[in-house]
Amino acid sequence: MLWVAQVLGISLVLTLSPLMWGITQTTKARLQGRRGPSVWLMYWVMKKNWHKETTVPEFSSIIFRLAPSMTLAPLLVVLITIPIAGRVPALWPHNMLTVFFLLALERFWTGLAGLDSAGTFGGMGASRATTLGTGIEPALFAALGIFWEVSRHAAIEPLAPALRTNPASLFPWALASVSLALVLLAEWGRLPVDNPDTHLELTMIHEATLLEYDGRFLALSQWAMTLKITVLATLGWVILGPNLSSLWSNLALRLAEVTVTTVALGLIESRFTKLRFFQIPAYLAAAAGIGILAFYLLAGGLTV
Amino acid sequence: MVIGVLLAPAVLAVFTYRKKRVALASLLVFSIGILIYGALGLWHGTATTAWDDVVQLTALRSWFLIILGLVAAMSLWYSFGYHDLRQSVIFWLPLFLLSMTAVLLAANLWVFMTGWESMTITSFFLVTTHHERADVLKSSYIYLVMSQGSAMLILAGFMVIGAHLHSYQFSEWTHYAAGLTLSTKTLVFALLGLGFGIKSGVVPFHVWLPRAHPAAPAPVSSLMSGVMIKLGIFGIIQFLLLDLGASAHFWPLLILAAGAMSSLLGVLYALMEHDLKRLLAYHSIENMGIILLGLGVMSLGIDWHHPLWVAIGLIAALFHSLNHAIFKSQLFLAAGAVEQHSGTLDIDHLGGLIRTTPAIALGFIGGAMAISALPPFNGFVSEWLTFRGLIDLIGPGTGLLSLYGLGLVMVLGLTGALAALCFVKASGIVFLGEARHAVPHQPLPGTMVWPVLTLGALTLVLGVIPQPLLHLLQPIEPTHLVSSGPMLLPIGTRVIAGLLVIIVVLLARLSRIGDVRTVPRWSCGRQPNFAMQYTSASFTKSIRTTFALIYRPHRTVERLGPAAPDFPESLVYRAGTVPVWERYFYRPLYRLIWRVSHLSTRIQNGPVRLYLAYLLGTVGIMLAILH
Repeated sequence: MLWVAQVLGISLVLTLSPLMWGITQTTKARLQGRRGPSVWLMYWVMKKNWHKETTVPEFSSIIFRLAPSMTLAPLLVVLITIPIAGRVPALWPHNMLTVFFLLALERFWTGLAGLDSAGTFGGMGASRATTLGTGIEPALFAALGIFWEVSRHAAIEPLAPALRTNPASLFPWALASVSLALVLLAEWGRLPVDNPDTHLELTMIHEATLLEYDGRFLALSQWAMTLKITVLATLGWVILGPNLSSLWSNLALRLAEVTVTTVALGLIESRFTKLRFFQIPAYLAAAAGIGILAFYLLAGGLTV
Repeated sequence: MVIGVLLAPAVLAVFTYRKKRVALASLLVFSIGILIYGALGLWHGTATTAWDDVVQLTALRSWFLIILGLVAAMSLWYSFGYHDLRQSVIFWLPLFLLSMTAVLLAANLWVFMTGWESMTITSFFLVTTHHERADVLKSSYIYLVMSQGSAMLILAGFMVIGAHLHSYQFSEWTHYAAGLTLSTKTLVFALLGLGFGIKSGVVPFHVWLPRAHPAAPAPVSSLMSGVMIKLGIFGIIQFLLLDLGASAHFWPLLILAAGAMSSLLGVLYALMEHDLKRLLAYHSIENMGIILLGLGVMSLGIDWHHPLWVAIGLIAALFHSLNHAIFKSQLFLAAGAVEQHSGTLDIDHLGGLIRTTPAIALGFIGGAMAISALPPFNGFVSEWLTFRGLIDLIGPGTGLLSLYGLGLVMVLGLTGALAALCFVKASGIVFLGEARHAVPHQPLPGTMVWPVLTLGALTLVLGVIPQPLLHLLQPIEPTHLVSSGPMLLPIGTRVIAGLLVIIVVLLARLSRIGDVRTVPRWSCGRQPNFAMQYTSASFTKSIRTTFALIYRPHRTVERLGPAAPDFPESLVYRAGTVPVWERYFYRPLYRLIWRVSHLSTRIQNGPVRLYLAYLLGTVGIMLAILH
């Protein structure tokens, strides 16, 4: 039963992630007073790209062609290791630290692909994306420290039982969630860090690394882009969200939670403008700072 | 007997330095012998021999012997094809390897210090190989001075232990050193910690490392970075942690702080380098920091009687020592191949080498992924263990220590991200994209390519199935917790690696990576050229701005010409970062030493009569005191 739930959860995330992207875009359009494109648009775009001829820039190598697969694979492995329905089969590797290392693998190949395109924008995007990573990782580790303090393990498991036994940790938990949300916005490449809708060469970050891609490679990268949001949102909710006793109601709950997240993402995106690139370290430092504050509160002040 | 058989090929190599191939072959035999000897020592335990007073083999020494044998074998194999190997290198190399072996096998202070000093001196001569190049002599001199300082501190520390235990046998120390008084331990910790710290290139004693390592030929750089600095780590583990046992709580915290500072500053300085070998040398400092973080956890475990910390910390440090030896020699050897292939090590002059030397590109990018701790390579496993140890410091009831642990975890996270950035830069700019300068491309012999690929295969194997090796560590680790392997390593390395490979192969096939058409790149409608690509400096510009507090970047624009302020004929643009330690720590220190030694000219200015008077006076004072 556990296996069925896990496989069902994985396939739901795989198939619905472009829809979630569409929901965000539609929310944004409605808030701006537009009707906006169909929520299914991403499926059409990906299908169209998949059937187009695929080209690569001159001077690029096998690295460039492997990169879409190499950036998508870690996300899929992360997805497989998440206990989407709240529990995992025995001996299933599900470790938070491993997730961070897998995300680093994705970033590494994004950077390599950018440099391999031999153009200006690829290098620019690679430089910016990896720089962003240097701010994101410490903040993620700050969040991990809090989870460790609550639950005494680094496995991806719901914190809810541990929180119930220790109600005093609720406020730090809320702060930690805020910190994690801020970091995730950066990791997803959304406003106020990166604007997925812009193709203005001087400001784009993630789009710049994709600039030279088209056809099947672009379709894979777009799928990765949508999956990243859904997968990490699922991961966040599994750990931080409520946990029900039944596997199936847990799955339904995850679906609702992720949908809410995508709508919230649309709301946030229409409320904020993009930060200057050189202000992003301050933004991420603030996220990490909130995490440290939560940690401090959880440790019950400083008693040696 | 065994030792004699082992040493014979190395001795042969000493006398055959005129015949390059004979000497290299016998050294290769020697290093493979060392590798087997170490492996046997770890596997079968250690037998007592008649030579126990002079040389001894323990499990910990076997582990480091394996590191030495492995790196030496690969570097020597590579040396057969390496063109830039002068006769002096062939002469000093066997002595260098012999002295490192002596350090590892030494059973008493005399053997150890003899080995240690000859290791320093032989490596000094290896570093000065290219003495005609600018700055090489100066760098080697800095290296020699700091190494001698380190040796003196170590000797002083050993003397203190020896004086208190009335023995210079290391086996005696293992039994009785834990019983020393706290004040003695503190003194020993300070002396030995400083001495071994200098030799391992721990910040702020790192200044010699990025100068000395790149100056040597590539196989020697690989030996120095892969093995020699690990001997400092060996000293810290053997003498400070295992022998001394619990000491003041201050020391573990200091080790952790030194580790965090080395790892972060090492990688930050590496980022600003555009000389490939210097960049790698700075990364050695970073990795020494990571190893020290593991040792700090172990040390805290000893002091707080927390067996899990001891086990995790020691295993993380030992495993990372081996891993770093493997991927760092892989990267150094690949860098040497790049130099032989294209004639330069300046990243900003290279580019697109994946098309002219794909095997080396594969080896370098694999090594880059391993050193950036990415799954499924070995760096991932040992860094995971280090994180696991550090995060365990966070816990209820330890207050300030928790916060300290969190800070260390975050610093290590930042270090990992920066290292990944640095290696995206190094591998991307050197091997990918379009060539930046038309340089001649020498074809590389197979003897240079295969060692790099073999080491790369090892990083992968150790990353996918590390468990058997972790089990081998059991006799070293004093708490014997390693047997609970799954508890220490609940990450399913095989599952992760298997999933990654299956998914990548599947996606690559689905997206038909062979079926593509090549088109010009996008350059906003202009004629594309190589200079459009990002360089090393532009790639790290945002890091330079973010960490301006540490780098203190500066730039000047000079206008040249008769009417320069308004109509300059040409502009000279200079930019750089401030070497903080050199400017604010070493330069004042140097001036101080200079001034103090200048003072001595008042009492020491040449006339023999004066010296005779001093002699007479000294004898007089001695007699007065004795009387």
